[in-house]
Amino acid sequence: MRVLSWAFQLLVFAVVAAIFFWLWGNFTRNTEASGIPTNFDFLSNPATFSIPGADFSPNEPVRNAYIVGVLNTLRVSVVGSILATILGTLIGIGRLSRNWVVSRLSAVYVELFRNIPLLVLLTFVFLGVVLQVMPSIEVSWNPLDWFVVSNRGIGVPWYDGVTGWSLSLVFTIGVVSWWMIARWRQSVFERTGRPSHAGLLGGSFFVLTLIVGWIVLGGAVSLPAVDGRQIVGGIRIDPSFFAILLALVIYTASHIAEIVRGSIQAVPKGQGEAAAALALTGFQRMWKVILPQAMRIAIPPLGNQYLNLIKNSSLGAGFSYFDITNVTQITVGNGSPAVPAFFLALVFYVVISLITSALVNVANRRFELVER
Amino acid sequence: MTASAPTTLGTGTRAYRWARKNLFRTWLDALLTLFFGGFALYIVVTFLQFVFVTGRWGIIDVNLRLLLVGRWPADELSVIAVAVVVLGLWVGLIAGIVHGRQIRRETSAVASMSMSQRVSDLVRRFGLIFGTVLLLLVLTDTTGPWLMAGATIVAGVGGRILGGIASQMAVPHWFARGALLMMAAVPFALFFFLTGTVPLADWEGFYFNITSAIAGIILCFPLGVLLALARRSKLRLLQGLSVAYIEFVRGAPLFVLLLMANVSLEFFVPASLAPSKTIRAIVVFTIFTGAYLAEIVRGGLQSVPRGQEEAAKSLGLSPTKQMGLIVLPQALRNVIPAQIGQLISLFKDTTLAGLALGILDLLSAAQAITQQEGFRGQGLIVETLVFVGFLFWVGSFTMSRESQRLERKLGVGTR
Amino acid sequence: MKKIKLLAVFAVMALVFAACTDDGDAADTTAANGEEPATTQAEGGDGAAGGALLAEVQERGTLNCGTRDAFPGFAVLDANGEHVGFDSDFCRAIAAAVLGDAEAVEHVDLETADRFTALQSGQIDVLVRNTTWTAGRDGVEGATFLQVNYYDGQGMMVNTGDFSSVTEMDGVVICSAGGTTTEGDAAAEAARLGLDWEIRSFPDTDLLQEAFQAGQCDGWTSDTSQLTGLRSVYPDGPEALTILPEVFSKQPLAPAVLDGDTAWAQAVNWAIIATIQAEEFGITSENVDDFLDTDDVNIRRFLGLDFEGDEGDTTTFDPGLGLPLDFAYQVVSQVGNYGEIFEEHLAPLGLERGLNALWTDGGLMYAMPYR
Repeated sequence: MRVLSWAFQLLVFAVVAAIFFWLWGNFTRNTEASGIPTNFDFLSNPATFSIPGADFSPNEPVRNAYIVGVLNTLRVSVVGSILATILGTLIGIGRLSRNWVVSRLSAVYVELFRNIPLLVLLTFVFLGVVLQVMPSIEVSWNPLDWFVVSNRGIGVPWYDGVTGWSLSLVFTIGVVSWWMIARWRQSVFERTGRPSHAGLLGGSFFVLTLIVGWIVLGGAVSLPAVDGRQIVGGIRIDPSFFAILLALVIYTASHIAEIVRGSIQAVPKGQGEAAAALALTGFQRMWKVILPQAMRIAIPPLGNQYLNLIKNSSLGAGFSYFDITNVTQITVGNGSPAVPAFFLALVFYVVISLITSALVNVANRRFELVER
Repeated sequence: MTASAPTTLGTGTRAYRWARKNLFRTWLDALLTLFFGGFALYIVVTFLQFVFVTGRWGIIDVNLRLLLVGRWPADELSVIAVAVVVLGLWVGLIAGIVHGRQIRRETSAVASMSMSQRVSDLVRRFGLIFGTVLLLLVLTDTTGPWLMAGATIVAGVGGRILGGIASQMAVPHWFARGALLMMAAVPFALFFFLTGTVPLADWEGFYFNITSAIAGIILCFPLGVLLALARRSKLRLLQGLSVAYIEFVRGAPLFVLLLMANVSLEFFVPASLAPSKTIRAIVVFTIFTGAYLAEIVRGGLQSVPRGQEEAAKSLGLSPTKQMGLIVLPQALRNVIPAQIGQLISLFKDTTLAGLALGILDLLSAAQAITQQEGFRGQGLIVETLVFVGFLFWVGSFTMSRESQRLERKLGVGTR
Repeated sequence: MKKIKLLAVFAVMALVFAACTDDGDAADTTAANGEEPATTQAEGGDGAAGGALLAEVQERGTLNCGTRDAFPGFAVLDANGEHVGFDSDFCRAIAAAVLGDAEAVEHVDLETADRFTALQSGQIDVLVRNTTWTAGRDGVEGATFLQVNYYDGQGMMVNTGDFSSVTEMDGVVICSAGGTTTEGDAAAEAARLGLDWEIRSFPDTDLLQEAFQAGQCDGWTSDTSQLTGLRSVYPDGPEALTILPEVFSKQPLAPAVLDGDTAWAQAVNWAIIATIQAEEFGITSENVDDFLDTDDVNIRRFLGLDFEGDEGDTTTFDPGLGLPLDFAYQVVSQVGNYGEIFEEHLAPLGLERGLNALWTDGGLMYAMPYR
């Protein structure tokens, strides 16, 4: 029986391996016949294309373009995940609201955006909103004179005048003091039972440290403005980044809202009632009692949504956002061999997915431990 | 929709009490109600205005055929009509037979309903689709589609009645089995009937989105089940292969896989075997969805109580029969809602084939027609995208509601 | 323990297969790989570059020509779904030369990004899709470029009235199609002129046009011929756009075939040259039949007619290209000469012959002697 099962497995393995060898044989023969490179040397060739919004010159090697692409994918994924979680949680809670208008509106949001393809949404955001609703640079909107909104990008105020190292030093001091204050308040709480307010005190100290350090170091705020045909000052949000981010957030939030709703409903009713019996306000009840428990249930499906978001961000390539997919496509168009170039992109996505799911597993385990 | 609900509650005082309870419980509530109510009202008014007043829907009217079936030859459209009518008959027959069996087992939900209740049940469940089809019919200016719709309804109802009668008849076992096989062969026969007229490579428009999603979900089924069984098996090598496949495919974006199929497939297969873009898309859909289906089926296998397998074993069934006759059917039945969920996301994802492979699917067609002579540069993309989004929404929303209904009916999660 | 066993098994498997492939490549000895070399050879014939593409195309009876479907002047789909344009006609000319039938063409629509992979993989026999001849493409992409059929230069298109010269364009956004040579050339030009350009590339021309129309870009850079074609169908009318006078890089557009099949490359090359030669001789699709009784030996040779040889005997000329004797006749009679093709598709857009005039008229079009 054991021998038979091993023989069977070997047979399956042999078939799979044979298919691979066949494909590989075709590949080497086809590339040899046409003299196309199959190695990764192309990474050292000059890129010959530019990347808007990045400090990247066409003379740099393709390798650097890949790095910019990876960073852009990570940027839209991280910002998108955070914003989608916030929006999705609000809408998920909104669906359970006793306010009829709020719950109906949330339900309509969820049912609307969950059931249309992301690509339709993205096309709409780029072609309909960015290109048609947002004004051209000549007639840009300047709300409060702090922002510049145009279809060439959105200018947002940003810090200025402080270099990276000193700023990160201040940042580190802030974080460390936050942590120390939290430890101290926790010990006070454990001795006296008085409310610790660790987050409030530590957080305000952190913000204070940042502001003081930044002023001491001679920092200033840089406001965006229109100069000729470009946005100068502040920081510019690329229109394609804006489009893919908005579409991803709207779409993913509709899925997250359903997860949050289900998780809240899965928290035993008694928890809410007990919190009410302790005279907690509605906000405290949700923030301190129900949401922490709901989030524990929600972690695995939320992790799935983050994975989907990362993979869906590849659609930005179709709308001039320079993520890794777009960099791959363009460098292939400019002469890099297609198979190794796409292989790199694919490996990146698979690795990033595996890392993300590992992180989700770690988070899941941590929260499970707290429960028991 | 915000204003109508209170009045349905009848008298003034009741409406007042309802509003007090649901809209103005606290001052914060009142604020929320006013803010979001105003917001909703603004959206609804703007949207209605867009649909009925400002929307320039002429572009949809002119290009309806291109959007729905792409460049399918006009004089071959009757082939699609025939296929749809046959499909209607087929669905009717199946519904009738299933219903007959349910009556025999006394599990039917609708047997106790009157005729009007049944109709209203159908309208509630599929009204959106009927409405959409009606809308599309109104937009056409030929009689063909009307004839097709009429014939489909007749065929569907006829099939339903026939199926009901057939399921009551006592037939020999071999006959029933043969009939079942023939029923199963109908979709394949229809497929070959259709490809015989217009090759698969030229399937475009919404027709492509629908058929490729269905083809993908049917074709990925054997793959997904095999992968799930391999992943659960004690054979380490098989398990390893299956895990590697599933994790790799699930880690890769569908869009990138489609792009790769577009530019690098020819390196791996001989030029004579290199398939058309449509087939490439369907193959990638199958490979991709197979990995997800495997995980769904694995969940289903885990949900089957161990006792089932042990009971089967004690009956002396072979391991293959234990799995094939006892465990797998229950597992697959338990995860029907999840499978429908997968079909929905595949249905939506078929739009990626347009962007990655240059297939003229519904979304690409909607973008392409805004570049036509006479429509160019007028910002009509909003109209066409709303139309596209609406078609996808109707399909996905109906399917997701049906899957929720099935979930309740199967009692998944309550057991 | 189990893991170690598993690893061991994998290692053994890997060894076994490595051994198998070594044997298989040398001589098909093992049963598992016995089929491999056989299939290899079977596919060698119809593979990407078997070295006999000419015979293969003639046997197949159709030419797979890589082109595009929405490019005014060069290749667009007409109402009947037929490919019409300058490039499409060169596809037809090649088919007429090789197969004797200008309509025996399968036009394969390609995107910018996948045009070379289509060529490399054997999906198409020849690429005629206004592609710039560069050394890198000759080398890394494995393409062999042939007789240039359009000498182009990169230009800049702006909204009429915004700018009158490229040098005025400082601190602007320039849009181009991604994955093309124009993108890098634009960056080089900006660096040369010391101008600050943000270059934004788009995956397809439709999207680029939408973005340009909405005002995302100040300039639209591409080959001048492309810009002229796109300008002619611009939604706000051609006069809304201006093509600036500067031309800032050489863009010779040429058909390309895959490296490694000289016979096929020469056959395609002479199909292109035949259109130029015909114009030099003054032969058009209208009057080609009048030349059938001409006394000019050069023309008789060109059209594949018999002529009086050196020793006074009647002979015909076969250069040994593997093409039918009358291939030039077929090209001219079914498609036309270079001037006719240009006049039909590019002149209506407002493009001048310029560099693309015959050398006798001060241009660069010069047919190699057919002897």
